[in-house]
Amino acid sequence: MVAMDIISVSIIYVAAFAILLIGYLAAVSSKDVIRLLISLEMMFGAIFMALIPLFSVAHLTNTAFGIALVTIFASSGELLILICAITMLDLQKRDIHTSSITIGGDEL
Amino acid sequence: MLLLSALAGIAVVFALGVLLSKDNFYSALYMAATLVFVATVYAFFNLQPVFVLILFVFVGAIGIVTVALAATYRSDPERQVSALWAVPIFITALVIGSSVCSHIVFNPQPVSSSAIEFELMNFIPLTEYMLLVVFLISLVVLLLLSVLKMSSVGGRS
Repeated sequence: MVAMDIISVSIIYVAAFAILLIGYLAAVSSKDVIRLLISLEMMFGAIFMALIPLFSVAHLTNTAFGIALVTIFASSGELLILICAITMLDLQKRDIHTSSITIGGDEL
Repeated sequence: MLLLSALAGIAVVFALGVLLSKDNFYSALYMAATLVFVATVYAFFNLQPVFVLILFVFVGAIGIVTVALAATYRSDPERQVSALWAVPIFITALVIGSSVCSHIVFNPQPVSSSAIEFELMNFIPLTEYMLLVVFLISLVVLLLLSVLKMSSVGGRS
């Protein structure tokens, strides 16, 4: 059943937020791009989890499936490109640490 | 309720494993386990098509590539966390909290699983559906061509 009570929705949102938070922490504490890739996948996992309550709203179920489908393929494509970028970084710099990337981004 | 809490709790525990593990390989394994449990929550709510998609595409393809990559580049990185990241984390918590509150206030009507038609055709008309498929395929082809171009430039330098 997709019928959800407020406690189920709360459990899903809290778990999604916790996974997203852990993903953020892993991203900001990462020193190499592999860990950055892993943390990005964790964040996408949290997004997938946050999508579940959309399926419980009567007039949003088909839209939710469409959103889930597009999100899965778009995020997979994005991560594949990131994997290619990691390979390219290793090919050019012989290093996968984030400190070796000098273009783009911001410094806190 | 108990099963859902257990599934969500196990997913969060595996996610903590990603953060606490110092080895990239074990982090990738914990990440794959987290995503499997996220997909299992979909199965718990009888949303099998999304469960299969996440498991096959996201965990099966991308997750395994990540695990293989992490096994190749195993390292013991140093950590750095800035306190300034607490601001976006707080804003995200506010957004999620407000969405939970709005669910309580507006209380949307629940729906049975039989009412869901797992077809993108009902999401958008057929012509737009075909346009979307063509667009996604073109996007993938363009991305792969750009990767090929980058690799040829990288190989020459």
